[in-house]
Amino acid sequence: MEETAQQAEDRQCIARIARGDAEAFGTLYDRLSRPLYSMAFKMLGDATEAEDVLQEVFLQIWRRAAKYDPAQSSVFSWAVLLTRSKLIDRLRARQRRLRLVAGSTEDEHIAAPSREASNVEDAADIINKNDEAARVRSVLGSLPAEQRQALEMAFFSDLTHHEIAEKLAQPLGTIKARIRRGLLRLRDGLGYRV
Amino acid sequence: MIAEEQQDRAALYVLGRLDAEAIAAFERALEKDPHLRELVHEFREAAATLALAAPQTEPPATLKARLLHEIAGRAPESLQKGQPFAVSRWLPWAIAAALLIFCSLLLEDRQHLRRQLAEARNVDPLMRTKFVELNPANGAPANVRAMVAWEPDKQIGFIRIVGLPAAGSGKDYQLWAVDAEHKDPVSAGIVHVDQNGVAQMRFKPEVATRRVKAFALTLEREGGVPKAEGPILLLGNT
Repeated sequence: MEETAQQAEDRQCIARIARGDAEAFGTLYDRLSRPLYSMAFKMLGDATEAEDVLQEVFLQIWRRAAKYDPAQSSVFSWAVLLTRSKLIDRLRARQRRLRLVAGSTEDEHIAAPSREASNVEDAADIINKNDEAARVRSVLGSLPAEQRQALEMAFFSDLTHHEIAEKLAQPLGTIKARIRRGLLRLRDGLGYRV
Repeated sequence: MIAEEQQDRAALYVLGRLDAEAIAAFERALEKDPHLRELVHEFREAAATLALAAPQTEPPATLKARLLHEIAGRAPESLQKGQPFAVSRWLPWAIAAALLIFCSLLLEDRQHLRRQLAEARNVDPLMRTKFVELNPANGAPANVRAMVAWEPDKQIGFIRIVGLPAAGSGKDYQLWAVDAEHKDPVSAGIVHVDQNGVAQMRFKPEVATRRVKAFALTLEREGGVPKAEGPILLLGNT
């Protein structure tokens, strides 16, 4: 995959951060904080917790910039997947906490304050085709609904693929295939193919 | 050509959905297959763009300044390793050496246990959570059950109450954190009860409460009050 100018710039930023350059850290923050915070807010549904996670992620980026491996992913992907991993840890801790509290109040009918993946924004939201986010939404919008749903659930929630299959009342193999096909179409639509 | 089954695994691997055994097997396959590595790379890039599908929201404006302030005092790990004579490098070793000399085996064992606990707390946020049962007081129905989960580090909590009657016209239930550093209880918000007598909400006290001694639920005027006035109906010590 050919590196874009933005990816090259991000990579240089990370290299400077690894040398202790706070200005590069500020630049990378300006570039990544919005999508990372948006993802955190969508998954957690809580501004304070989303901010906490964002803070943890950027401190980790500062500490461990030298560990970034460009052969594995772009800086953007590295940061997104790092953030997502922390978000899933939080969601799981929240579920465990909720189960304990629910157990203690002896009510079987508790419903988790779920932030399950919702559908992506409507096509009406796709206004500017030059905007990266709009482009992603546009490609996602072109996916068959069931692929988009499976992919979003797998990405934005802490559900395993087994749980997704159960929730959607579909065989596990179908869910796996939908996730795979969704990713393949997303890859092709965004031009990430080697 | 990569088999569909292997492509499925690649997708689940990127999304962090494989178990430890499957990860190990998949990574062995990755080492051998450059095409599979390419596919994983592409999937990773594609999956990460999903972050842009969330409604885009700006983070709080103060966060950047706080982060820059925080990193000002610490170097990235890569630089810490490259400064053998920095005080920050030898000081912990000096302290550790002194401890080794003066600590008995018993103390060492105790420290080990503490260290394990601290590590566990870092790994599992649940270990940092305090659970507080609130008990009925002042004529509250005896069958009311309430539990608070409180994370002091994050200053956030979750309360769930079962069996609480409606607050009544012109009244609201209000949650309070009784903190050793504050003269008066700190409001943690209004608690709304549904038609089944169940209330649950996440809360954050209005000001930082670092030494919470108890949580209490009172019956107050509608909309809540800045300082508790009404009767305490539920109370639980941390």
